[in-house]
Order: sequence, then C-alpha cells, then structure tokens
Amino acid sequence: MSRRWGMVIDLDRCTGCEACVVACSAENNIATAGESQAAKGRAIHWIRVERSWEGEFPNVRVRFRPVPCQQCDAAPCEPVCPTYASYHNAEGLNAQVYNRCIGTRYCANACPYTGRFFNWFQPSWDKPLQLQLNPDVSIREAGVMEKCTFCYQRALVAESQAEAEKRPLRDGEVSPACVQSCPSGAMVFGDLNDPASAVSRLAGLDRGVKLLEEVGTFPKITYLARES
Amino acid sequence: MTTRERQRLEAAPQDRDRLTRDLLRPVLHTSPRIYLTMMALGAFVLAGLVAFVYQAYWGMGVSGLNRPVFWGFYITNFVFWIGISHAGTLISAILRLANARWRRPVTRCAEAITVFALVIGASFPIIHLGRPWLFFWLIPYPSERGIWPNFRSPLLWDFCAITTYLTGSLAFLLLPIIPDWATLRDRAIGWRKKLYRVLALGWRGTPREWHRLEMAMRIMAVVIIPVAVSVHTIVSWDFAMVPVPMWHSTVFGPYFVAGAIFSGIAALIIAMALLRKILHLEEYLKPIHFDHLGKLLLVMSLLWVYFIVAERLTVWYGNATPEVAVLLATQRGKFLPLFWTMVCCNFLIPFPILAIKRLRTITGTVIASSTIVVGMWLERFLIVVPSLEFKYLPFSWGNYRPSWVEITITLATFAAMPLLYLLFVKFVPIISMWELKGGEHPEPAAAAELAPGHEASDPWEGTLPSAGS
Amino acid sequence: MNAIYGLFPDTDSARRAVKALGEVSRRLRFQPRQIVVVSQEPLDDREMGLPRQHTWMPWIAACGGIVGGTAGYALAAFTQRTYPLPTGGMPVVALWPASVVTYEFTMLGAILTTIVAFLATARLPRYGQRVYDAAVSDGMILVGVADSDVNAWRDLEETLYEQGAERVRQFSTA
Repeated sequence: MSRRWGMVIDLDRCTGCEACVVACSAENNIATAGESQAAKGRAIHWIRVERSWEGEFPNVRVRFRPVPCQQCDAAPCEPVCPTYASYHNAEGLNAQVYNRCIGTRYCANACPYTGRFFNWFQPSWDKPLQLQLNPDVSIREAGVMEKCTFCYQRALVAESQAEAEKRPLRDGEVSPACVQSCPSGAMVFGDLNDPASAVSRLAGLDRGVKLLEEVGTFPKITYLARES
Repeated sequence: MTTRERQRLEAAPQDRDRLTRDLLRPVLHTSPRIYLTMMALGAFVLAGLVAFVYQAYWGMGVSGLNRPVFWGFYITNFVFWIGISHAGTLISAILRLANARWRRPVTRCAEAITVFALVIGASFPIIHLGRPWLFFWLIPYPSERGIWPNFRSPLLWDFCAITTYLTGSLAFLLLPIIPDWATLRDRAIGWRKKLYRVLALGWRGTPREWHRLEMAMRIMAVVIIPVAVSVHTIVSWDFAMVPVPMWHSTVFGPYFVAGAIFSGIAALIIAMALLRKILHLEEYLKPIHFDHLGKLLLVMSLLWVYFIVAERLTVWYGNATPEVAVLLATQRGKFLPLFWTMVCCNFLIPFPILAIKRLRTITGTVIASSTIVVGMWLERFLIVVPSLEFKYLPFSWGNYRPSWVEITITLATFAAMPLLYLLFVKFVPIISMWELKGGEHPEPAAAAELAPGHEASDPWEGTLPSAGS
Repeated sequence: MNAIYGLFPDTDSARRAVKALGEVSRRLRFQPRQIVVVSQEPLDDREMGLPRQHTWMPWIAACGGIVGGTAGYALAAFTQRTYPLPTGGMPVVALWPASVVTYEFTMLGAILTTIVAFLATARLPRYGQRVYDAAVSDGMILVGVADSDVNAWRDLEETLYEQGAERVRQFSTA
C-alpha cells in the first residue's frame, strides 16, 4: 500500500514562535519579498501562523494556528488547473509542477485556505540569504505558483536511504522542516496509511478537527483543538 | 482613394441605386477627421501594448494583484468583453429566426461587435497569465512535452467555447458580407478592386448561391444561439466551479447570460448611434430601431434586477458565515459606493428612461445604454474582487487596488473596440445592402405562409428607406 | 463558354423573360437548365418560375455536429487517460467535464461543416470568367442562356428585348 503523508498540529502546544515559518523559508528557497511588497500582500510563506484574540479586554486569550497547505484529498486547486501543473501525486500530495505552470492563478483562487503563492517578480533574496539556498529544491521563476510540498525532497531522500539499507521506512524518519523545527513538538508528521504511526493515532483523537471541513476538501492535516 | 475614383462611384450615370450609393459612401470615402480619430485610438492601443510588454518583462507584480486577490481588472475585463460580445450574434440570430423585419439594418452592426468584443475579451486571459508566452499550452495539440491540457478545468471549457463562438460568429458575420463584397468588387478600382475580387470569392448571385447562403445563415442562426448561451455560462462556471464564497452559486449561469445580453444590447445601441452620426446613416438607423432595442434593454434591465435579488437574498437568508462576509462587504462595507453606483447605472437610471415612451428616444436610449455599460463593468468587478478579498479565513483577507498598468490596458481595450470598428466600417458596408434591399419587398415565402391581409397591417411597413425616393 | 443575356430593371420583366426563354427553349434547341439568372438580391424561385432549390445542408451540418461531438468526447477521454489525475478518488474519465467539451465540439463541428457545405454546394470560391455583368450590382437582373447555339442568338436577343431587357449583351471566352 502506498504512503499517504499527513500531519497533525496540536493547537494546545503551539506557542506561536514562528520557527516553522523560518525553517520552511530556509529549506524551500523561499524568496524574500521586501517590506513594501510584503505590505501589498506579495510575501511568500508556505506556512503561516494565524494569530487571533478571544474574549474582551482584560480577559483576552491569544490563539495561534499554523496553516500550511492542507494537502486535501479532494483539492479544489487540482481540477481547475488547465495544464496539470497542480496535480495529485501518488503519495496523496497536492504537488505543483513549476515548469508546467503558466500562471492562471486559478488554483490560488480555488484554494479555500489561501495556501498558494504566486511569484510576482523574479525571485531574489536579501543578502546573505542567497548563500544558503537549498540545492534539493528548485527555484521558481516569475509567473508561476508555488506552495507547501510537505518537504517532499526530504521524503525522497529518506525513501532511497531506506531502500539502500533494505528496510522499511520508520515512522518519524521523515519530517518536514516545520515539524523538525517546532520547539514544543506541536506538529507530527507521518504516514496516514500506517495505522501504527503517531500521526494516525493522533489524527483519530476526539480533539481532531479539520480546517473548513464544511467545504468538503478532506484535508490531510488534522488540528487538535485546544482544551486549555 | 482618389477624388476621381470617388466621383466615378458616386456619380456613375448607371447608378440609379441610391441605397447602394448611400451605404457604400462610408466605405469609399474617409474624411480626415476619421483618420485623426483612428490615430488617437491607436495611440491608446499602443499605450496598452507597451504596458503589457512592461508587465510581461517585469512580472505580474507591476499590477495591483496580490494574495488573496489573484484576479482583478483583467478578469473583470474578460467577463465584461465576452458579455458585450453577446450583443451581436445572439440578438441578430434571434431576430433572424423570428423573421423580425426591423433587424435588417441592425444585424451587421451587432455581429461586428460580437467578433471584435470576443477578440478583445479572449486576449485578457492571456494578458493576465503569469507566463503569457506559454499561453499555447492551453491548446490541445500533441505536444513534444507529451502532456495534454486538463479538460476538467473550466479554463479549457472556456477555450473550447470561445473558439467555437469565435468561429461561429466570424462565419455569421462574414457569410452575408460576400454578396456586398461582390457589389464592391464591381465598383471599386485600384487595389481595392483586387482586394474585393478575392474577398467576394467569385460571387455572382445565382439562385443557387442565394439559396445556399440563406440556408447556411439559417443553420448558423440555429447553432449560434445555444453556443452563445453556453459561452457565458461557461465563463460564469470559471467562478461557480470553485468553492469561493458568493462565486459557488447555481444561479451564475443564467445570471451571467442575462447580464451579457443586457450589456451587449447597450453596446449595440451606442455603436448604432455613433455610426448613425459619423457615417450619416440617419435614414437607415431610425428612431424606431432604437425604440425597439430600448424595449429589449428594458426587459433585460428587469431581468438583471431579478437575478441580483435572487442571488443576494438567498445568500442573506442562507446566512453562511463566509458568504455573508462577502455579501455585507459589497452591500454595506467597503464596496458600498460601487455597489449602489452599479444599481443606479443598471436599473434606477435606465429603467425610467426606457419605460417611459416619450423618453425612449435615440438620446434617451443612448444615455441609458451608457450607464448600463458602466454598471455592467462594475457588476463584473463586484463579482470578481470582493469574494477574493473576503475569502474564508479572515487572517488572509486582503485588499485590491489596480495599478497604472491594469488601468492602461483596460483603457486600451476600450479604445481598441472603436478602432477595430472604424477599420471594419472602412472595408465593409456596415448595413447589409442585399438584406436591406430584400426588405423592400414583402418576403414572398413568408407572405405565402401568413394569412392574407397580413402585409397591410405589418407595423414595420415604411421603416426602411425605399430606393429611388 | 459563351452566353447571351439581357439586363432587366425589375423582377417582373425578369420573370417574364425566364418564362419566355422556357417557352422558346425547344425551338432554339437549348435545355431550360441552361437559363442563367443573376441578381443582386435573393429572388423567390417559385415566383420566378425557376426550379426549386434543394439542399442537404441541414443534414450535413447535423452529421458534422455528430462527428465533432464524437471527436470532442474522444479527445477529452483520451487525454484524461493519458494523464490520470485521481483526485480524491474521483473517476479519471469524468463524464460531466467531458460532456461540456463534447457539447462545444458538437457545435464547432456543425459550424465548420456548414461553412464547408456552403462553399462546396454554392461552388465558391471560383475566380474564373463566368456569365456576369457588373450592372447586376446596380440592381439589374441578368437573365440569359449559356452555351447555346450561336445561330440562335438573334432570336434570343429579340426574345429578351421583347420582355423588357434594357440591354442585351453577348459573352464569350476565347
């Protein structure tokens, strides 16, 4: 049975430190937009931490919700792409093939989570960030969409390593940059088709909810609702 | 064109055909003012081209688009122009099938609008692409990349529908021009004679040719109506097929089609009024034509109100959180001024003008049509943008303000339309000469099928200028 | 190819000329189908006493539509199979999206065959010399006989003038 990568994000554990956002940018060669472009809504961040307040002053509680691409099973972004740039790969991920993209931006509109990003200009990096580009991840040219890949490049490396050692992939062996960098361990990544994996166990908890479940996208990210 | 040529054409002794002479005058005579107008319009179009090249070179970032508003002016213009294109073919096909005799001077004006508006409209999806030089990846052809386009995507449906519609409306426009080109072939001299000789395809006007032409037009009229309806339905499905609040609506298909016909008739009235003035066709485009198109416009205005109420009231009662956010933003929030301007332009102003017979004059219908064109553009804008600004998760709500690039390109297309139209008028008689002449006599086939005495009570009697008067 | 024809100012005289030519055809040894009529606007064949025109164009267009629709469905189905996209377990060859494409291709097929059928059955384009007179575009109706015996031309000319022809002209290609 093929793998089906999924993630669980425990909202009780998220402290809103945004380490995941930074780690993601470093891992995935995400271009820096600069202050003025960011103010116009041109910044790219495959994962964001949504911050919201609850209650009236002084009884205010702040809430955090990290939102990457939800890697939907029934992803609205996929069927609308005229060139198959956004497609469903064999391991259930909503993949984006940059070279096929002609930039209709239809997928970005279709995504209810606003989880897709467009390259408004040729990518550039604030110095010295251009010195730490990741050779495993391609750079996206102006005019194409990009999005969270669950750091698929890491999964590919781990899979070939396991194959070379003639052993199955262990649970927890693969983790995207955001999961790896989360200091409070709020994010868990793994194979949803493996009932014994940590991510499958956690996703089955009663606290597990999907984001915008009513839209019917069947995301592969499960949020564990806050109890505290 | 030389003076000598013009004199020969206009004062030919054997030319006892005033109608032909009147209708050919705009083709064969061009005043300096028209050249100046063309140059001014051409300058705007050039500015638009420069803006497009600038955008293609630097990236879409030079537009005002952003995340989450990935579609803005360009898609608004796309929907608007495709809507305008429904003027023509749909109206003239319906009137042709209904055998409405007053259609004769109107049809070609309308069909030309269709073709040009379609060309302009269809260019917008390309203008708006992130990598416009790769637009041909939308075309299904066996490519070296070994991949076909995705026929599940409404954009591919758009591609198929617009291709079909453009082919159909081009044929619908060009087939009945052939006999008129044959007339021009006989009268023009110099390079024009050579040009029209080729364009006329060797048309003579034998009973066989006439019969096949009329049959072809009848088939085209039957085919083009469902195509036109499907085109704007599919344009609406670009929106309705994705789960975006206020886009994902079952009413969008008919709502868009009604809006398209609405704006199309308005554009037709404006074009006719301009042609009448500029080309001195007062005797052919008469107040009665504006009166009747005005009545159609009135019906469409009411239909538009019906649809917008049907759309918005159900959303309001449904009270789904994401949809209500968009609804209130349009009706009470930041889009309030635009929304109510739209309602004024599309209903509150044109309704009394078109409903009161005394006001339904040429001036009246042109005023109503002008507000409607503005209102329908706003309608398309208010469909595209607010839903994206207020899409689901409030954390990602955004703001859209068009940049100079988008505004320039938009203005350029509004200049391209009259420019293309003027060029067209200089190569083709804008009023179908042979159809107008056919209208001088009662149609024998139709007369035979109708009860005797019908001819006398025909309300259209005398609406056409008679030759030799 | 040669012809003799008269130019008639109105449909009444043209109709009389067609009738008269039909009557003299046996005597002057030509077939009624050699009678040529050219006009600047469509004439009613029945009223003119001309043979009724018949065409299969609507059926040809319908067949074109069927061919177009089949091709459209085949294209959509074929391309979806060459690149399967099993989104959320939905079918690879999706019927509803394919039906939209089928519909548009049906219409495109009908439109294209109508254009082709029109050109083919109206025998256009044809740029060679044929019986025609530029006066037709001034509103004259041309009625004449093509490829008739040259010896009968005098009689034909007389017949045409009798029915009210303004001018009678001869036409021949060398």
